[in-house]
Amino acid sequence: MVNLTIDGKKIKVDEGTTILQAAEKNDIKIPSLCFHPLLEPYAACRVCVVEVIKKGESEIVTSCNTKVTEGIEVKTDSERAMKARELNVEMLLAQAPDAEAVQELAKDLGIKETRFEVKDPDEKCILCGLCVRACEEVVGADAISFNERGAERTVSTPFGQESEACIGCTACSFFCPTGAITVEDLLGREVIHDELHLGPSSAVRVPIRQAVPMVPFIDEEACIHFKTGECKLCEQVCEKEAVDHDMEDEEVKVEVGSVVLASGFKPFDAKRIQAYGYGRFNNVITALEFEKLVNASGPTGGKIRLANGKEPESVGIVHCVGSRDENYNEYCSRVCCMYSLKFAHLLNEKTNAQVYDFYIDMRCFGKGYEEFYHRLLEEGTKFIRGRVSEITDVAVTEKEEGKLVIRVEDTLIGAMRRIPVDMVVLSIGLEPGIDQNEIARVFNISCSQDTFFLERHPKLGPVSTFSDGIFLAGACQSPKDIPDTVAQAGAAASEALSLADKGTFELEPVTAEIDKDLCSGCQICVSLCPFTAITYNEEEGISEINDALCKGCGTCVSACPSGASQQRHYRDNQIFAEIEGIFIE
Amino acid sequence: MEKANEKAYRLHLMVCAGTACVSNNSFGIKDALEKEINKQGLEDEVLVVTTGCNGFCERGPLLVVQPGNVFYQQLEEKDIPHLVEEHFLKGRPVKKLMYKPPKEKSPIPILSDINFFKKQVLIALRNRGLIDPEKIDEYIARDGYSALAKALTEMEPKQIINEVKDSGLRGRGGGGFPTGLKWEFVSKSSTNGQERYIVCNGDEGDPGAFMDRSILEADPHAVIEGMIIGAKAIGASKGFVYVRNEYPLAVSRLIKALEQARGYGLLGKDILGSGFDFDIKIVRGAGAFVCGEETALMASIEGRLGEPRPRPPYPAEKGLWDNPTCINNVETWANVPVIINRSADWYSNIGTKTSKGTKVFSLVGKINNTGLVEVPMGITLREIIEDIGGGIPDGKKFKAVQTGGPSGGCIPAKNIDLPIDYESLTEVGSMMGSGGMVVMDEDTCMVDVAKYFISFTQNESCGKCTPCREGTKAMYEILDRITKGEGKEEDIDLLEDLAKSIKDSALCGLGNTAPNPVLTTLKYFKDEYEIHIKEKKCPAHVCRELNTYTIDEKTCLDVGHGCDLCRKNCSANAISGETKTAHQVIQEKCIKCGVCYDVCRFDAVKVK
Repeated sequence: MVNLTIDGKKIKVDEGTTILQAAEKNDIKIPSLCFHPLLEPYAACRVCVVEVIKKGESEIVTSCNTKVTEGIEVKTDSERAMKARELNVEMLLAQAPDAEAVQELAKDLGIKETRFEVKDPDEKCILCGLCVRACEEVVGADAISFNERGAERTVSTPFGQESEACIGCTACSFFCPTGAITVEDLLGREVIHDELHLGPSSAVRVPIRQAVPMVPFIDEEACIHFKTGECKLCEQVCEKEAVDHDMEDEEVKVEVGSVVLASGFKPFDAKRIQAYGYGRFNNVITALEFEKLVNASGPTGGKIRLANGKEPESVGIVHCVGSRDENYNEYCSRVCCMYSLKFAHLLNEKTNAQVYDFYIDMRCFGKGYEEFYHRLLEEGTKFIRGRVSEITDVAVTEKEEGKLVIRVEDTLIGAMRRIPVDMVVLSIGLEPGIDQNEIARVFNISCSQDTFFLERHPKLGPVSTFSDGIFLAGACQSPKDIPDTVAQAGAAASEALSLADKGTFELEPVTAEIDKDLCSGCQICVSLCPFTAITYNEEEGISEINDALCKGCGTCVSACPSGASQQRHYRDNQIFAEIEGIFIE
Repeated sequence: MEKANEKAYRLHLMVCAGTACVSNNSFGIKDALEKEINKQGLEDEVLVVTTGCNGFCERGPLLVVQPGNVFYQQLEEKDIPHLVEEHFLKGRPVKKLMYKPPKEKSPIPILSDINFFKKQVLIALRNRGLIDPEKIDEYIARDGYSALAKALTEMEPKQIINEVKDSGLRGRGGGGFPTGLKWEFVSKSSTNGQERYIVCNGDEGDPGAFMDRSILEADPHAVIEGMIIGAKAIGASKGFVYVRNEYPLAVSRLIKALEQARGYGLLGKDILGSGFDFDIKIVRGAGAFVCGEETALMASIEGRLGEPRPRPPYPAEKGLWDNPTCINNVETWANVPVIINRSADWYSNIGTKTSKGTKVFSLVGKINNTGLVEVPMGITLREIIEDIGGGIPDGKKFKAVQTGGPSGGCIPAKNIDLPIDYESLTEVGSMMGSGGMVVMDEDTCMVDVAKYFISFTQNESCGKCTPCREGTKAMYEILDRITKGEGKEEDIDLLEDLAKSIKDSALCGLGNTAPNPVLTTLKYFKDEYEIHIKEKKCPAHVCRELNTYTIDEKTCLDVGHGCDLCRKNCSANAISGETKTAHQVIQEKCIKCGVCYDVCRFDAVKVK
């Protein structure tokens, strides 16, 4: 332990503590700009200067990197320290007048304006090097550094070119204390959203906000550590030491009697419809992005904003993006009409924007839905019936300058219309999950033509499949909304339960069996069996059929070259006997 | 051994091949000498040798004839036939090619009688003008590498460190940290199984300073020997010489010297059979002034951006690649072999109580004898300026001397009897620095001088810390407006505040000392600042924007007969008059460029 005094207060701290840390622990505030607890001290801004008196000699030091020593007396606000701090802040104010952090600091120190020459009133960068250090120390990418020297110094990539070393992790922007670094994704869109698929995301997150259990996970694709081997900041800050980057995926075998498949859907990729300009225009966003934007815990705190931060004056909502379209998906995604109406309602409620809703047919099929539609009509939303053909920023009239223009055929008045708006929300449809076919193969079930899972019977068996004990719930079977999903999930669960409750299982009467004496062990049947009911017994050199799995389809019977596989009740000799019987008469 | 050394010659002609003399055609002189010697059939009697910098750069190209120590200066190729015939053939030294001090009538034939050389004590520059720096044998012949042999075979590392400690040698790069103490720290700091490193700081960046360059050019082996001894003392196996790429001659001589030393088994594995391994690598710097700061220099060697980092940890603890590193300046290393050879006692007898030995200064500016001088610590400024430097040219008055480069300060004429050592210079607000010494006469404007040095530090600031990056810029802006007549009353206070704050809060030595030129000129020449601000005048007439040019009509007409030269040269058409009439300056048009003043041959143009 080391004894020292800070501003007259006697303090005892561990050896190796810096003056800044010691002060912080004792609620003594020392301002700083270039210091970040997760990075090595850089001691460049010289704002955290304090006066240290050691053995009668006074010295000005930066508190961020100076370690405490026995018996020192620290003065954080002595005249000498304050003079240096004030002048340094005043000089920074001249260098980066637009940096809010500096403005605030200046205000705290009573500096009204700077006496020094201001070169660029819009400058935000204070050259604190946090970004450079983050890129080096945390990310290990070394993609950015300082250019030039002295007053000409800037932060940039080598030669100001797009850098191959940059992995797009946005750590630089995260550490920047003044907002001098903004991130643009490869298409040049300003990033305002931070959820997966919606631009760069936090690598550590809870899968969804309603997740149970609420345990965050590390997304290896986004995690810097898995890209460069560095970072591990989350490990450093987690007091419970719960983060382990070396943890590996585990395969867990669970023996179950039945399975409910609820593998969900994937949202339609709006970039596929190039005419709608998603990815090209900053203010064309998808329904999911809008949902994020309007969320109170979203990037704007629930405020609906354009990419430039302003509130939109007009918004267009385009239905059936990727649905009911023979170029993409022919089916109706069922949920889009209703969520689009919800968006229109939220826009009416939260903004003064004029909302246009472009639909083909309004499908308000459920309880209270039609009434909601009527409410929207009264709220002043303008509904235009017709498929949007194009979204463009090419203005024809003065009114269209700087706006996005939606071109649409209004089928009710029978004319082409051009409607200028500030923001377009694309109501994207639902598509089958990416690994739908893979799952179907594993569980031995079928997919319908559109690759949603096929139920046993559309009316009589809507939750079961052709494989016993495998049940379906939710959008993996077909697009559906939350109430329908919940209902189907309930049904699937009870089907599964009824099996478990009974405790027994009825076998098919008509199954195949293999004659041990005839089987040559060629294993043709093993590869052919669609229900994986046949296994090869290596000890005896023959194939064997699991009666519980066999559905009696007869594939193996017809394929068996030696005639060893026979269908019970339909053996060759039985059939021949029947044929013979017919001819006798 | 080369053939030349086996033969005995009657005369050795030592032609200076330092950078200044080379640029004054000393190689041409050498060729002409050899040609003429051959013509006269003297090639078996007279040998021409190229040496490192002699120091008296003002008078180049230089030639010293040995034996006899006869000093010839400002030679031209056309002088050579006469010189060879008269002196080398007939034995009659040529007086008109000898050095004649400004105020005296007869020339001084012998080098050691010349005041410039008389008061110098040569330790770091012990071999200057005496050996060919590209020949290791000549260095060895002058006791070279005998100190290394002694250190490797007879001394323990601790003994070497103690010897250097006892000698009182302090860092010659500027800080003046005791060298032996530094070595002790490095040798004691733990390496965690890693290496220790030796670094020679040859990143000499002060304007007008060329001590390190001269030593590397004139005697590279002295530095190499010092480094090997240091390596033995601290237990290093790798060394680096960081030298500016703008010193091509120094680099090429260093490369040659390292090759020769390796060839003689003085570098590499098992040096002199002692079992000690050490080798040196040259790292060329791109010329950033800040890379002379040790932490920035190390960053540069490591291949990173050359910018300083906070100390502690000091390089002795965490240096190159976080390993203990011993960094010393070129001149410091060159002193080491002499200390080992001639003992700490001998060395510590030279100098003052706190500063031992000698210091090399580059004496430049408004002084008669410009050049490189090595003087014992404790010598007074007066001795350097008046005796060695030969006083101020054109009978002007001595005003101030700037020591320590841009980090140093201006010492006014009233302190001319100041004995020079680390402490005395710091006391008057300047510093030893690496040894630049710029002499100024009455025609120098101190505000302009401060502005010059601040503009230098501002351009060379790495830009890492706020006070240095923004503070030097702010000081420059203020000084600039003062010299343009736009200074405000409160500017002096603001300058003082800024200077103090930068001194207090800058990150590295470069920043801490950057305000020194401003602080010292403010301390000693505040009146000049006040005149600039209040009266909008520059007493030395250097700040042209503050000058008023007038033409003395009487002189113009009576003496110059209205020569019209000023009017012809005036780019602003601000002079009226024609040939044979008196001219006038039209003040409204005058852009104060001063061309009329410069071109007038009759002193008719007056400046106020």
